[in-house]
This record gives sequence, C-alpha cells and structure tokens, in this order.
Amino acid sequence: MYDAIFIEKHDTPTVTFVFEYFLNDSMSAASSRGMPVVRVVPEAIVSECTVVETIDNAITAVFDDMVAALTKPLTAEEKSPKPREPENPPRIVFKGDLEEVNRFFYQRGWTDGLPVIPPTEEAVADMLTGTDLPADHLVEKLEPRLGKVTVEMIAINAVMAGCLPTYMPVLITGVQALADNPACGMMAASTGSFSPFWLINGPVAKDLNVNSSYGATSPGNIANATIGRALGLITKNGRGVRRQIEDMGVFGNPGKYSWVAAENEENSPWEPLHVERGFKKEDSAVTLIFPQSFQQMMPFGTDDKGILATVVGNITPARMGSLALLLTPTHARTFADKGWTKQAIKDYIVENAIVPDDYFPRLGLKADKPFDRGNVTGPGYGPKIFHPDPRDREPVQVFVFGGFGSWMGFLQGIHPTITKQVELPKNWAQLVKKYKNVVPTYVRY
Amino acid sequence: MSVDKAGASYEVLSPWAEADPKPLSGLSPRLADLAGKKIGLLCNNKRAATLILDVTERLLKERYPTCETSIFNSRSFSVSALEPDRKGEFEDWIKGVDAVVASVGD
Repeated sequence: MYDAIFIEKHDTPTVTFVFEYFLNDSMSAASSRGMPVVRVVPEAIVSECTVVETIDNAITAVFDDMVAALTKPLTAEEKSPKPREPENPPRIVFKGDLEEVNRFFYQRGWTDGLPVIPPTEEAVADMLTGTDLPADHLVEKLEPRLGKVTVEMIAINAVMAGCLPTYMPVLITGVQALADNPACGMMAASTGSFSPFWLINGPVAKDLNVNSSYGATSPGNIANATIGRALGLITKNGRGVRRQIEDMGVFGNPGKYSWVAAENEENSPWEPLHVERGFKKEDSAVTLIFPQSFQQMMPFGTDDKGILATVVGNITPARMGSLALLLTPTHARTFADKGWTKQAIKDYIVENAIVPDDYFPRLGLKADKPFDRGNVTGPGYGPKIFHPDPRDREPVQVFVFGGFGSWMGFLQGIHPTITKQVELPKNWAQLVKKYKNVVPTYVRY
Repeated sequence: MSVDKAGASYEVLSPWAEADPKPLSGLSPRLADLAGKKIGLLCNNKRAATLILDVTERLLKERYPTCETSIFNSRSFSVSALEPDRKGEFEDWIKGVDAVVASVGD
C-alpha cells in the first residue's frame, strides 16, 4: 500500500486489489501515510492463493470496478481529504474503580484481553524510577501509526502489564529493537501470525530474574510474563497494530501475550549470543526475532550426530524464513565436548538442510518453479533450504536456554535477528536491590 | 468517581501514544479512458499478486487492445519497491506509465 501511495503522490492514478477482509488494514496503512482516501478494489482471493481458476474468476468479477477506480472522476473528499485529527485522548483518560478501568480500557481496544493494573499517576511515576531518561523523551515512532512511544508511554503500558520498574531499560531497548527494522511492522501485521520472541543476555537477565532454565517460556515468572506483555501492549497502543484491524494473523499466536527467555549463559559452554553478535560479555542486550511457530522434538539420538540428524531431517519446505535452533544446556555441552562451535553447527545446518530431488515429485507436485514461499527451493536455486544473503547473512541462529533435558526445538519463520544493547540507569545497583527479591516462593505439599 | 469494594478508585493515564497530525494528500486525477494508455502493473511478488496481475493484463488487453502494460516487481513481498537502491528505477517506471494497478497478494 505504501508503494501505491507513493505512486499517487507522483500524479499517477492508482488502484490496488485487496483481499476483501483486508480493507481495514489497507486503509490504516494509507491513512498512516497521509492519504486517508485511497481507491482499492476488494476481491475474493485469499492471501497466497495459487489456484489460477479462482483468481481468474475473482478478478473478472471485479474488473469493471478496477477500470472505474482509474477512470471515475474524483469526489471532493478524494481530491482534498478533510483534515483528520489523530485520536489523542487526554492524559488523564478515565476515573473509576478497578473493574470500570479495566472495562474502559478493554472496550477502547487498549489491552490484550487480560486484566490490567490501573496506570495511575503514582504507579507510572514509580515505574519511571527505572530509567534516567525524562518521561517526555521520544524513544521511537513505530510504523504504521507512527505513535510517539515516549518513555512515559512505555511506563504506562508497563504498569498495565504488571512490570517492575527495573524492567524499564529492557522495555526501552525492546522498543528500539522494534523500530530497528521496518519489517517488524510488517511481521506484527502479517497473516503469518509472527510473534516477537525476546532473548535477554548479560547481567541484566540475572538482575531481573528472567528465567533461563526449566520452563523459561512458560507462565509463572514475572519478568518473562510481563516484559513481552508490555511490548505487546506498546505494539497495540503505539504502533497501532490491533488484531483483525491491522494484525491480520490468520491463526494468531499465543507468543503475542509474552514470549521471553534469558539465555542460559551460566550453563552454556559457548560465548553468549550477545557476545557472538558483537557485544561484551558484561554488556546486557536484548535480541528480537519474529518466529511464527515453535516446535519441539526428541532427537533420534542424544549425541551430536543424532541431534544434527534430527535438525536437518526436520527442516522441510513451507516453513518460511530463518531458523533458531533451541538447545538445552545438556545438548550444548554434548556439542561442545565433541568440538562443535555454534558457528560450525550453523554452517552444518545451512549446508545440509536440503530438499531431496524426489521431494516434490513424491508429493505429486511438479517442481518446475520455485514455489516454496519462504525458503526458495527449486530449479535454479539448488536444493538448500537456507540461503544467506545481504539482508540475512545468518539464516540459522543457535540459542541455549531451558532446563537440562533431551528435547530440542525450532523457532521457525524468523526474519533477520536484531540485537540491541541495554542502557542501565546510574542507580541500577540500588534499584536491583529493591526489586531483586520479588520472586515466587512455592509451598511444598 | 466510583470506588470498588475495597474503596479504591483510580485516575488513570492514557496508554495510547500521541501522534502528530499528518499532512494529507488527495488522489491524482483519473484518466478519461484506458484505451491507448500505458498501464503499470505493480507486483509485490507474493505469488497471488503475480497471478492476479497476469489475469489483469489479459483482461486489459482484451477490452482495450490499444493499451500497453508494463510490470514492476518488488524484489520481495517484504521489501518495498522504494528500497533505496531501486527508488530511481521505480520513479522512472512511474513516469513511463499513465496509471497503475497494484496487487499485494493480500
């Protein structure tokens, strides 16, 4: 849609075919670029359709509409759209009891459906103690809406999510990561339901008690549960990507509630991910990827050969994008003891994850063109599934987290990995001391 | 202001980020007719987009035998035609057509 608007702005009439369920999404995209009235032709072709007859019938049915969109004279509103003030609610937006606040926020579309903590002036002020940055500091404007994600806006959404003030530096870094690649906006809205997955490295992970071990991505830990949740609320309330309005994920993704882990650095035999990606061990960093799915496998064998065979044997076409291999500390140690580095594992996977010659014919498909959508395989591309390129030099990553065990996992369909350094406030040690002991204590039975 | 059973009430701040008003643009004047015109077909390279524009091109030429078409393909559906190293090429393409039919495959 952005390209179509660019063309219109170059004095060239344009019409865009849009799947009939995507009108809201296309209008939000157009409006975000200052063209609130655009001409689109809704059609009945589901995303990624490959059935020529369906497409032929659907376009034939709306062909006259397409011609009209290029020839019918403009209305006054199309020639000169009326200024539309962005919805900027007052700072104090509501007064009420807990239930009323929650209902008001939910009905405005500002929550993820779970109850929120009321972001009062006092609670937000307390949250702001987690950063040295002033409340009005603009961290980023996130596309498509280009909402101003200030430090205060982050703090308000962090309160709602149930964060502790010490999470603010990670949240600010997370917003910077979300803005780092324009594709993040596309991933948040995609039919593929890609969800942000956040991996935290360095001392901040311990300071915040981010779980890196058993059940790292399961519910039960305040940091893992609320950091991703806050960034999800910011995606909604800053980026302006709302379910079924702009976020057209078909299945949706439970990871969008919160999908956060720390790397299990103390039990990994290798350098931490952030060091591998150019930071110092004593730095803290946040890594962001956007997988569409999480798969766990029990390897054919728990030695290096058995694990790698399971990896390359389970990477098949139609999964889209890059891969993060999830290794438990147990398996990481197995590899390290056999002399494997992370880089060697990545290289092995890129080299050996292939589509056999008979793969498509065996499925009754004629492999005469590269029809696998994400990882292009087929004539002219060779049998390899992963193709390092300038936009994604490392289409395979290796993350070490989780408890000690023999399961292994894939995060699939990711776009280029983003790692950003976390900047901590001057009084970090005092803040950590204040909140470090906020941990669950489970009663034995 | 209401209070809940515990006697609590809250004045809450808006979580919705402020946004600046955007300068608005209107649409380009439309064509009187497509006959004899050069119609650009903009494809974002999603597979449905390619097929949609194949059909569009065929139908255009059936109804308007004197119209011409010109296709511009994005490198990838996730990459705008406006990516920096192709912006000039894209602008030249726009200058060479009278109107554009875009398909995004969604």
